[in-house]
Amino acid sequence: MGILDSAPVPRRTMVLFFIVDTSGSMDGTKIGSVNAAIREVTPMLDEISSNNADAEIKIAVLQFSSGCEWMYDEPKSASEFRWIDMEADGLTDLGAAYQELSSKLSRNAFLNEATGSFAPVLILLSDGEPTDDYQRPLEKLKENKWYKAAIKIAIAIGSDANRDVLKEFTNSSEAVIEVHNVEALKKLIRTVSVTASQIGSQSSAAGVKDKQTQVTESITKEVEQIDGASSSAAPAIGSSSDDDWD
Amino acid sequence: MAELKPGTTVDLISGGQIKVVKELGRGGQGIVYLSEFQGHQYALKWYTQQYPDTFYNNLKHNIEQGSPSKGNEFLWPLMLTKRQYDSFGYVMQLRPQGFSEFGDFLMAKAKFASISAMITAALQICQGFYFLHLKGYSYQDLNDGNFFINPQTGDVLICDNDNVTAQGQNTGILGKARYMAPEIVAGGKPDKYSDYFSLAIILFLLFYGNHPLEGKKVLSCPCMDEVNDRKFYGSEALFILDKDNKENLPVRGVHTNVITRWPLFTKNLQDAFIEALSQDLIKNSTKRIIESRWEKVITSMRNLLVVCKNCGNETFADIEKQTACINCGKPVTVDYQIKTTNYGNIVLSPKKNVFLGKSKQPVAAVRINKADPSVWALQNLSTTTWMVETPSGKLKPVGQNEIMPTKPGLKITFSQGEKGEIV
Repeated sequence: MGILDSAPVPRRTMVLFFIVDTSGSMDGTKIGSVNAAIREVTPMLDEISSNNADAEIKIAVLQFSSGCEWMYDEPKSASEFRWIDMEADGLTDLGAAYQELSSKLSRNAFLNEATGSFAPVLILLSDGEPTDDYQRPLEKLKENKWYKAAIKIAIAIGSDANRDVLKEFTNSSEAVIEVHNVEALKKLIRTVSVTASQIGSQSSAAGVKDKQTQVTESITKEVEQIDGASSSAAPAIGSSSDDDWD
Repeated sequence: MAELKPGTTVDLISGGQIKVVKELGRGGQGIVYLSEFQGHQYALKWYTQQYPDTFYNNLKHNIEQGSPSKGNEFLWPLMLTKRQYDSFGYVMQLRPQGFSEFGDFLMAKAKFASISAMITAALQICQGFYFLHLKGYSYQDLNDGNFFINPQTGDVLICDNDNVTAQGQNTGILGKARYMAPEIVAGGKPDKYSDYFSLAIILFLLFYGNHPLEGKKVLSCPCMDEVNDRKFYGSEALFILDKDNKENLPVRGVHTNVITRWPLFTKNLQDAFIEALSQDLIKNSTKRIIESRWEKVITSMRNLLVVCKNCGNETFADIEKQTACINCGKPVTVDYQIKTTNYGNIVLSPKKNVFLGKSKQPVAAVRINKADPSVWALQNLSTTTWMVETPSGKLKPVGQNEIMPTKPGLKITFSQGEKGEIV
């Protein structure tokens, strides 16, 4: 190999985690929208990844209902990732999901890249109340260094979603976004995935706001433009918060 | 936050409207659209992040001042839009055909056609920095997205000039930690000295294909969060080939390019990087290597660039001692050189283009006799007639495209009085 035969520079990896509530109440258009939105956003993530000399983006999906399950047994690069449609049925075992997430947020599990990682992005989607004990697994999760460093965003689907529970996950009410219709959900999944991936997969900007703040602010600005989406930093105006699902 | 749909028109502060045609690409700051204004096509960069008034006003100021150079080195902002659709943007020329982003070179999606093109690119990057600094600007956000390079010729276009500001100013937009000087990572204000550090990083990436601060020590950090960014690119920044501290050496199988290429380039280039990225210069910004010194280092290296007589590929000669071709391993001999007054000794080889100093245009080319390859000639590629003095004192003119023998003792007067003797 000479001067001109270049090998690609080693890139770090940034894993984007989708943690998706697939309990019975998500059945119908909610889960349908999640399936469609993440399927549609994957090529965009692939593009961000392939044009980024700082890091490669990988995707991991954990679904929880009665228990929890990973879509693949390891994070897949955005170029290889193929979405498998999820079906909704069963309980809302958020505690089980937290426990599983804790075990995989480790250098010995999902974050074992030879060239190192950037802090992951964790996107949690839920429409209801946890049906298991989620507090203790959450306490354990909060001790996890990867979790602590992660960019965390939660999407509360409909007014039955317990925002307080989601806020405990993100540590900030600004990072919990509420959506009230199918279109808003789709748009938000796209916005959150793209924004968090763009910011999360780059070498951090020196001396300015941290990545979580940048992501939250950027998403808040988008939320203002999406009819049927709101957050504490971008409250809904008028009565559009009435749920409109089926 | 407003993305623009095809057909949308945006008001320009200088009057008139620009029409969006289609999206060309998007990044962390915004989206670039192909757009039309008064029958011509332009690129419109439209911000999707929020920026303060200082940023907007700085952009306006840069447009009013115009490009720092008369040439076409910069894709400089030409027109600014009004604040509209909850954001704003600026207009620039479209990227010409044949240019690739610097990031594409890093990811090996684009490759230089020759070492000569790579050297040209390095010199043009130095030149671009020089023009910016001459006009009193410095970079706020320098990164791999700032350069478009033509892999065939090495021509460079400097883009993303929205983050160029008068030195000492701060628009609140700071670049990626990997490309910033340690004092900026720690929260300081960018100036030309911090740019000199970034220049060393960019040049190292260009020549050696790996990041100069990312070795064993950085690799052993599993999670690169903001705290670690500040450590590895700030307070504990350590060159992977630091002459005293071996804690951050390149790792075999990971930092492949630098391990291969470090010994292939000339020693003066190695020495320059060892100095530029030493702990002394990392910590003492005013001692950093400036553009003109990099240009000297790089042009000295270009003086030694030859075509191997055995394999026909580019390699480096050494005037002091015989070297081996970096491609085929056969000995590289020095047959003839031009000893110049100001630009050092230029080693000649078949097919070599001769450059005087940092000039973009070759002044001469070495031609060989097809029937007898041992017979060489020098062709005048400049636009002026050379005056050549023979060892016996005769004066002979060599006009544009004319040739002369490569005979030791011949003294050439190039344009602007620069002299060279064939030895």
